[in-house]
Amino acid sequence: MSSDLPVFGIEFGAMASRCEVRLAASDEAAARGLALAAIAEVRRIEAKYSRYRADSIVSRINAAAGNEWIACDEETAALFGYADALFDASGGLFDITSGVLRRAWDFRQAQVPEAIILEPLLKLMGWNRMEREREGGALYVRLPQAGMEIDFGGFGKEYAADRAGAILFELGVRHGYVNLGGDMRVIGPQPDGQPWSIAIQDPRRPNAVIAAIPVHSGALATSGDYERYFDLEGRRYCHILDPRNGMPVQYWRSVSVLAPLAIAAGSHATIAMLMQEQGLRFLRESKLAFLAVNQAGEIFQENAV
Amino acid sequence: MHVRAALIAALAVAGVSGCSVEAVKPWQKGTLARSEMNIEGAKPETRFDEHIYTSREAAAGGASVGGGGCGCN
Amino acid sequence: MQLKAGRDGDDRNDSAGRAILMAALALPGLIGVAGAAHADSAPEQGSISLNYLDYRDWQPGLDRIKVHTPAIDVLAPVAGVWAVQASLVSDIISGASPRYHTAISGASSMSDHRVAEDVGLTRYFPQGTINAGFAHSGENDYQSRAFSFGGSLSTEDKNTTGHAGIGVSNDTINPVNQVVNDAKKHTLELMLGVTQILTQNDIVQADLGHVIEQGYLSDPYKFLDNRPDERSRNTLLLRWNHHFEGSDGTGRFSYRYYTDTWEIRAHTFAFEYVQPFSQGWTVTPSARYYTQSAASFYFDPDYDPNYGPPVPLGYVFGSVSSPDQRLSAFGAATLGLKVEKAVARDVQISFKFEQYEQRCDWRLFGSGSPGLAPLYARVLQLGIVKTW
Repeated sequence: MSSDLPVFGIEFGAMASRCEVRLAASDEAAARGLALAAIAEVRRIEAKYSRYRADSIVSRINAAAGNEWIACDEETAALFGYADALFDASGGLFDITSGVLRRAWDFRQAQVPEAIILEPLLKLMGWNRMEREREGGALYVRLPQAGMEIDFGGFGKEYAADRAGAILFELGVRHGYVNLGGDMRVIGPQPDGQPWSIAIQDPRRPNAVIAAIPVHSGALATSGDYERYFDLEGRRYCHILDPRNGMPVQYWRSVSVLAPLAIAAGSHATIAMLMQEQGLRFLRESKLAFLAVNQAGEIFQENAV
Repeated sequence: MHVRAALIAALAVAGVSGCSVEAVKPWQKGTLARSEMNIEGAKPETRFDEHIYTSREAAAGGASVGGGGCGCN
Repeated sequence: MQLKAGRDGDDRNDSAGRAILMAALALPGLIGVAGAAHADSAPEQGSISLNYLDYRDWQPGLDRIKVHTPAIDVLAPVAGVWAVQASLVSDIISGASPRYHTAISGASSMSDHRVAEDVGLTRYFPQGTINAGFAHSGENDYQSRAFSFGGSLSTEDKNTTGHAGIGVSNDTINPVNQVVNDAKKHTLELMLGVTQILTQNDIVQADLGHVIEQGYLSDPYKFLDNRPDERSRNTLLLRWNHHFEGSDGTGRFSYRYYTDTWEIRAHTFAFEYVQPFSQGWTVTPSARYYTQSAASFYFDPDYDPNYGPPVPLGYVFGSVSSPDQRLSAFGAATLGLKVEKAVARDVQISFKFEQYEQRCDWRLFGSGSPGLAPLYARVLQLGIVKTW
């Protein structure tokens, strides 16, 4: 009976990306209602962890750097725990305090910052330096030095995709997906049982695809050097920066990973980008299906679906 | 008669419990975890205050059981 | 398109990928299940607390009781699912008490040392707790032993918790004036309550209590004090904590309704406001108002002209009676101020000052018992807590 259900797509903008909720429902009104619940959750997360709102938990922690302890709710505490796992798994490359490097890199101008600008910023990083205390059942955190900052941009979109997908599943949706700017959480296959065919964008040609991956359920996320970048003298400088020297990574054009959760898929993709050449071994050992494109345009598609 | 009034008041509170507007999620309980939000209060201070009032007033207890007695005059 | 053959990787990468996936799965509410229901957990930190109480009360023309009480409390989590708590309290009491009403002449002077210990054990389960405790108190004329047992049960989302408890005490009274010898008093306490989280900033609790006391309930140091050998008490306690986001302060409100079979009815209203400041300071002003009616057998200071005080008019020898100020009708008010300072990440000191006054004409809902002098008390509390 569910194979009769029509499929609706509701598009919206969030987290500086084009987003879509696609799901099967009895009619358009029902689909809108369900999509609104998912969109509300995406907006909640966007607002809660926004760097641009002075009252967000992230802004308050950053404003109190080197000064006061800030109490975190359980969701934020859980996300910090996740940031720990990524920091460890990547050997310190995935570091949510590395956002300070934004002050040196402006991708709208084709200009590589001088070492003298990067040096002081490198001293303001280090996720392992954030201070934490549990008191009375709540987690209190403090950045040890003024000028340090944290942000959840590294996995915020993927986390929101997972949360939105979970809410849709709770509401009874069994066919559909949540797509936030290319990071997708699939709740279930198409109504007739066929997987969704998800296209992976060509990292050098915006309107072309390099592969179409069939996905039944789970998540697909991509990290690439084509989102924010500039090219100078034949070399691409992208927004994914190595925290050890403040310079963009270069080895991969894009990495896409399939995993049960969007946040896990996205983290694997980003860590592979950060690890550069060692990223291939990292992806292979994770046993997750991936598609990676290096600077020469060679495609590695392994642990296949 | 007074027991009936007490039961009605208690049921009213229980009724409120049953219909909270929107259930508070685990990750929203940061403020509730603060020590000043604990209904009970710090044990030493509560014990001192309870003991003082019990030895100067007729009413006693209400918050806990099993504290034992004393010959306080 | 070129495929590179897979190679055996090192263990680090293998467990790294697994760790990421496990960490992602541990995030609450991602798998389509309504909010991870995590276990009710034992306290994550232990604590040791030293406190000192300095209490003094008086009435016009007579300094009454002075009490100095050092106390130590320890709380330790054990194995993640247990918590052990123990305390030791040493009351050093001295001073004078009227033998009847608020009569200054003939007031009995005394000095005493009371030591009380209690231990408690709590076991934590995913949706509730079970606890047991023992308390002992000993002074030269009074020994008390008490046991308690209770538990709590929470809903799936932990927003509603019901709790119940039972306590049993056995006391032995041996007054120094030997008015009685080895008198016994037995107490049974029952309690039922519910706690409800209303919003992110509001929590309320209602508790119903029923206590039955049997045995020697009189005060052996007061003249003509002959109380019934049984007393049942009922209490309803309502409490509400509200956090104000604007000031980051918390208001703590409580109301207690009390009634017993000696016909005493009492209302207690209490309020305190906890205001944190920067640098780890917290200031908490507090106020309390209390009013009670008199016990049915309390008699006013209208003395028989033939026999003189303390014998009341029309007294029948051997009847149930008491001239105890504590069983009269009165109202009382307390104003207090507490200041706390976090001196290190895990050490906090506190200082509390309270002023208490009891007057018959402050009674609400009726007239106070006439002829009694007001009672004043001054309370100082000092404390230091270290958590680990």
